[in-house]
Amino acid sequence: MEASREFVYQKFTEYYQDPSTLIPATTMPEQREFAYLMFKERFMVRHRRFAEFKNLRSALAETVPSDVYHSCAYYENPDFDMDKKGWLGADLVFDIDADHIPTNCDKIHDEFTCTKCGFSCRGIIPETCPACEATKFEAKTWPCELCIQSARDETAKLLDMLENDFGFSQDDLHVYFSGHRGYHVHIENEAVRSLDAMARKEIVDYVTGLGLGILDKEPEEKRGKSVASKKFSLHNFGWNRRLKLGMQNFLLNATKEDLKKAGIRNNALLKNRETIIKRCINEGRWESINDVSVQTWLKLAEYIRDSQSSKIDTVVTTDIHRLIRMNGTLHGKTGLKKVEFPAKNLQTFDPFTGAVAFKKGTTKVLVSDAPEFRLGGETLGPYKNQTVELPVAAAVMLICKRRAVVAN
Amino acid sequence: MQMETAGFTRNDLAKYPFLKETAEYIKPLDLQIDDLTSMGMDQILKRAEERVNETILYRRITRNIQNTALEIASFPVALLLVIATENSLIKKRYALAEAKQASSDLANEPKEKILKIALDFDWKIKLTAKESSDSPSEFIIYFTDYLRNTSHLHDKKWKLTNSILSEGNIYLNKKDVARLLEEEVRRRVEKRLDVKVPKFPAEFTLIAERIKKLAQETIGQSELDEMPKVVVQAAFPPCINALYADAASSHHLSHIGRFTLTAFLVNIGMTPESLNELFKTFSDYNERLTRYQIEHIAGERGSGTHYTSPQCSILQTHGVCKNKDDFCRRIYHPLAYYKRKQRTINSG
Repeated sequence: MEASREFVYQKFTEYYQDPSTLIPATTMPEQREFAYLMFKERFMVRHRRFAEFKNLRSALAETVPSDVYHSCAYYENPDFDMDKKGWLGADLVFDIDADHIPTNCDKIHDEFTCTKCGFSCRGIIPETCPACEATKFEAKTWPCELCIQSARDETAKLLDMLENDFGFSQDDLHVYFSGHRGYHVHIENEAVRSLDAMARKEIVDYVTGLGLGILDKEPEEKRGKSVASKKFSLHNFGWNRRLKLGMQNFLLNATKEDLKKAGIRNNALLKNRETIIKRCINEGRWESINDVSVQTWLKLAEYIRDSQSSKIDTVVTTDIHRLIRMNGTLHGKTGLKKVEFPAKNLQTFDPFTGAVAFKKGTTKVLVSDAPEFRLGGETLGPYKNQTVELPVAAAVMLICKRRAVVAN
Repeated sequence: MQMETAGFTRNDLAKYPFLKETAEYIKPLDLQIDDLTSMGMDQILKRAEERVNETILYRRITRNIQNTALEIASFPVALLLVIATENSLIKKRYALAEAKQASSDLANEPKEKILKIALDFDWKIKLTAKESSDSPSEFIIYFTDYLRNTSHLHDKKWKLTNSILSEGNIYLNKKDVARLLEEEVRRRVEKRLDVKVPKFPAEFTLIAERIKKLAQETIGQSELDEMPKVVVQAAFPPCINALYADAASSHHLSHIGRFTLTAFLVNIGMTPESLNELFKTFSDYNERLTRYQIEHIAGERGSGTHYTSPQCSILQTHGVCKNKDDFCRRIYHPLAYYKRKQRTINSG
């Protein structure tokens, strides 16, 4: 193994072997499948069972994996093959990852190289190579503050729904920084454990605002006859309430530009904003403004739906056997740890200090390319082809991100 | 036999024989399979057969409230008869008919009775405060109980997104609660039918044969749409066409996209060999992985489960549903689209 990987491996080893490293116990470890990615061999060890959490701790110290996961699911026999495990239930989990959402930085810090023709470029990784149309890339991503902020905003919307609409208490909601560019929310509440994939899909559709009847543009069909275009109305619960509040907020603050963004050309919405809020939103008389048609209401509601929904990874929540990164373990792409914090601290919890695992020492690295970044309370970079002495956490992150090597 | 149970009246148990309390009521009768055909129990057996026949002929079950004892006892016996047919279609029909009958009876009950029955299924359910103007309906139920019973219903009105959800509770009126209890009853009855009884007395088997014959004559083949023998690409639904085009033009397919495409093609009768040939023409082809996936989906590997492509609502959730057309509007599954579309192609 080359010197840089060896250095990271050494640091991971110190982390897992240090008895003072705090790794919070997973609930009911004996019923979960554990899995880990081998640091050197790069393969996934799966279907491991640990009767007691302390056995898992010693296994981690011994193997030093690059990434550690456990199943959201509870099984009778977590160490058996998938079809013989005996599914007993699963936590309800949500994953919000900057990789999957549009961010304000446009991922300008990410760099991808086509594995076939070598074409290289910055920005959002395309589906196919612009030069040769191949589909495989080597990507150098970067966890920037704007990426994290976007993920945080989506998480805030999710948490708001889970609390107010689904009625979970703050104690039910386990919120984590994922160790890379996103957040995880786990609900271990007994009431959700037995929900099947279809029920979880309905929760996903709620969170993403999919299938809202009020936005249905197809005329309703009843016994083959299509009914005349429907009226617009909203009640005070669930998504209807969210649309109503969102529309009110929009009308209070909207500029012409905002209207354009929502795809609405009708300026009557702005001219009559006070009347509209009073008559339409408060009193429900949506048809009382002559200049605003049902179509305009629908367009606005749709725009609000898109901004109020939370862009979770739909596959993670619907998968009732999902493996998810274990709390307190290191992320192989950053050397940061997955870490839990109270839901109410979402806006104030700073991953670039709170998730730092390596707090001691410095090391010299040759950095090929890194933007300015913050880590462990220090602002570092930007660097371009230079040798610098960095705190270990920063050095590990740059090496994991393939932007630096250990300097001789 | 003069036993009255605490929670429900005998009338209730006759109307809703699937309740847990029915078992308490029947226990003292000490019904044994072998006795049923001999010890003057022929009336029970007769009524039980009638129950099953009604479900096959009319999809409903009449309720004989005049003779509650007979009515209650005939329910478990009817279940045994259905089990003896070993026919999944009859089992499904029977469970559905019991459920539908219960649901339409429930819609006419006072809300307190409905509440009691919902509690029998361990629902977290409450009546809303009387005359409270800020509660939109008479019942609130916890959302997990709601999801368990609605996530398989197709009508958009049942989508959680469209529900009146607040702090974990969903407001529902009496009619909707009755409809959701129908799902609960169906599942409970189906579960009770999902057992193997090693040996039935001869007369039981004889009745089961009669029932099967009746089912064959009545249900016939109408419920089973045939899958076309050859692959008709013109009948592919738009989502599959989009995936197919993406794959063919070497676009990256998501895991669920690839699964959907492969499972669809396997299910319409493409052989693993011809599928492998087809995927070879795609640019990011990996023979070992492709073969593994195809064989896995076709049930030739792993657990031996034969996988079906996901239904429309799942594809919508994951953004795989694309370019919906007129045909899609009344269809819930890509395979159903395919069957129907090729029928119109053939007849047109």
